[in-house]
Amino acid sequence: MTFPFRKTLLSASVSLVALLAAQAVAAQEAVFVMATNEVGAPTYNPVTATVLNTATGLIFDRLISQAADLSYHPGLAESWEEAPDGMSWTFKLKQGVSFHNGEPFNAETVKLWIDLFKATEGENTYMAEAIAEVQVVDDHTVTFVMARPEPNLLYNLSSTFMGVVEPKSFVALGENYGVTEVYGTGPFKLESFTIGQETVLVRNDDYAWGSPLAKNSGPAKVARLTFREIAEDSTAFLELKTGGVDFLLSVPADLMGEVTKEANLAVLTMPGQDVWYMPINVSKAPFDDIRVREAAAKAINQDEILSAVFGGVGAVAHTFLISALPESNVSDGAKISYDPVRANAALDEAGWAMGPDGVRMKDGQPLKVSLWTQSDSIFRRLTEVVQAQLKAVGIEAEITTFDSSMIRDQYKTGEQQLAVRSYNWDNADIVDWFFGGDRLGYPNVSMFNDPKAEELRTAAMTGAKNMAERVANFTAYHDYVLTQFPMAPIYQPVQAVAYNTERITLPEKIDAPSFGAVAFLDLEVKE
Amino acid sequence: MIWYLIRRILMLVPVFLAVSVVIFSILHFIPGDPIDNLLKVGSSPQARVAMEARYGLDKPLPVQYGIWLSKVLQGDLGTAIVARRPVAELIAQALPHSLRLGGLALLFSTVVGVGLGVIAALSRDRWPDRAIMGGVLIGSTMPSFWLGLIFMLIFSVSLGWFPVSGARGWSSLVLPVLTIGLGGTALVARITRVSMIEASGRDFVTLLHAKGLSPLRIQLRHVLRHALIPVVTILALRIGWVLGGAVTVEVVFARPGLGTLLIKSLSQHDYPVVQACLLMLAMAVMLGTLLGDILQAVMDPRVRAALA
Repeated sequence: MTFPFRKTLLSASVSLVALLAAQAVAAQEAVFVMATNEVGAPTYNPVTATVLNTATGLIFDRLISQAADLSYHPGLAESWEEAPDGMSWTFKLKQGVSFHNGEPFNAETVKLWIDLFKATEGENTYMAEAIAEVQVVDDHTVTFVMARPEPNLLYNLSSTFMGVVEPKSFVALGENYGVTEVYGTGPFKLESFTIGQETVLVRNDDYAWGSPLAKNSGPAKVARLTFREIAEDSTAFLELKTGGVDFLLSVPADLMGEVTKEANLAVLTMPGQDVWYMPINVSKAPFDDIRVREAAAKAINQDEILSAVFGGVGAVAHTFLISALPESNVSDGAKISYDPVRANAALDEAGWAMGPDGVRMKDGQPLKVSLWTQSDSIFRRLTEVVQAQLKAVGIEAEITTFDSSMIRDQYKTGEQQLAVRSYNWDNADIVDWFFGGDRLGYPNVSMFNDPKAEELRTAAMTGAKNMAERVANFTAYHDYVLTQFPMAPIYQPVQAVAYNTERITLPEKIDAPSFGAVAFLDLEVKE
Repeated sequence: MIWYLIRRILMLVPVFLAVSVVIFSILHFIPGDPIDNLLKVGSSPQARVAMEARYGLDKPLPVQYGIWLSKVLQGDLGTAIVARRPVAELIAQALPHSLRLGGLALLFSTVVGVGLGVIAALSRDRWPDRAIMGGVLIGSTMPSFWLGLIFMLIFSVSLGWFPVSGARGWSSLVLPVLTIGLGGTALVARITRVSMIEASGRDFVTLLHAKGLSPLRIQLRHVLRHALIPVVTILALRIGWVLGGAVTVEVVFARPGLGTLLIKSLSQHDYPVVQACLLMLAMAVMLGTLLGDILQAVMDPRVRAALA
């Protein structure tokens, strides 16, 4: 009788030991939920991908890293120099760097990678278009010979799409690169990837070349990261609440309150890369009259929207670009702010007289316009406030809601008058994207096609030799566009992440534009 | 019998063609296209034209349909435009998850549905009958994504019995199976009850009673066997339905599967993937119907005789 009992006791203690060991390992692990807009990213191949998620930035290092203020700092390139005419760039590369598969990182690999990048047909090719040739100067120095000056080069090189891939395995694996296997020089290696479901990364223990923007330049502090993809926000929140996951890489505005209610959860906000705005179709009456556009733009009370719709989280927008960009520093006169006196005066000047029911009239016609929005609840809420603000100056706007995935096709009809929408981008070339005369309908929802703007646009896009010139040209272009009122800026949200404070310790300061490699190097899991 | 089978299978051909036309055209008539999801800020308008040509989206719709159908008939589902992988590979990854979930949900609704139906029929018009039928009615009328969230709140958040979401291990299957299975349970229970009550009134039952068999034995051994014929037919029809019903539940519970794939691809307008997913769901319904007809023919001697 004693024997089986002992056996039971023995196996029980064995499993107890195993359990304790498992817990020790678990302390080195953390489970993240990908941002909702990154769900379904099909590959970790930065060269061919159109969507990449946060984990990509942990597998691959870039030549250049970007700080929270969008300034450029060393990555795999230790230093760089640009020729005065913008026709060549020389990069000094970090030494002693190797890829996850043991291959060395040097000048030759940079040349092979750029050649592959340029030769791969796809949507990213344009990022390296201006590079004519890469010359290997010595083992750790390369020169990019340019086909034309590209003042945006550092931005492109700091993009996740220009994560440095290991060229040999890239060629050998072909279509499978980024799906079954992938090799970069980053602080984490890919262990497993199931499209749309889960990615597991393990620490690169040899890592010693972290960006100077992170406190820790050595191997990351967490041994294993699991990234889950959950499309439904409420499901992700319940997982965080019950301890199923430790971290949400995006928290929608409507769940922020729920998260802060929980004692063990916290929200961290970082400057966002979105701008919410109201495009005004300049080609459709009554908005073909600049005075009516000005009135509509100045009727928007950004401060009221910030507090009433977004609970004071985020910032107001007075230009088309996020405030972190130097090109957002336009002249004071160009900034668009709430000014009901001017809005009413402009409408009076344009001949729209206030009618008895609070709607302005001209030639017996009421000032009635359409206001388009998309089906997401936050858009609908914001649009209703915008509608009320327009009404306050005598513009009656009728809201039409379209499904978010279909509204772009509606814009292509050019039938819109006003709309409420948002974009996510951290480079000034977004002004060209949304107001370029050759993209009417979508992306140019405002149908803005102005000869002077086109001239400034050309100068901004291709006329600059270096970064300072590019900033100046884009600022001028942006400034002019604002004075034509093809839109009203509304709001700049923050990026919000949520985490379990009993499990995760975040660094005090994250000097990066988004929650990526810099944050992950310093992040700790509590024992 | 064999001719019946051949005839039934041949009848599926025009149905398949009609379904393929509907699937293809519905998708292309929805505003929006996949290129918008691929274009990057900064790419030129010419890049858009080039990309449309690359994916064959510049050709007239009937031509696009012809190309797609002929490839599908050769077993080639094409390559996903946004996801960039062979569609067959994406489906092959997703389908086993959906089949497992759907299969278990079907099993659940069969076992529980038949059980409840029998109890309800045996206690006809008394309180167990009313309670079961009432409960079943409520269960079947709730939208599945809502029911899923409620289950999550009760069993995962409050009680902590099951994981909230995901596809790790059997415990993560319980709530999704319950969510999908409950709707089917209602249907199966109702049909079992009605057809048992109907069968109880037949002459052979009177005869069995006259022979002195115990009423319970009569019900379970003889009446139930008769009553199950329509239940089996309904279950076969539900094979396709269960896969379709899993769509929203998979998304709510963040599980891999055809539903998650379909919803994601739909929002990206990734035509080849959406077409393939819908085709799979339509084929599941068609095969389920076929199976239902065959099973009925095999089980019901009257149908068998008529075919002979």
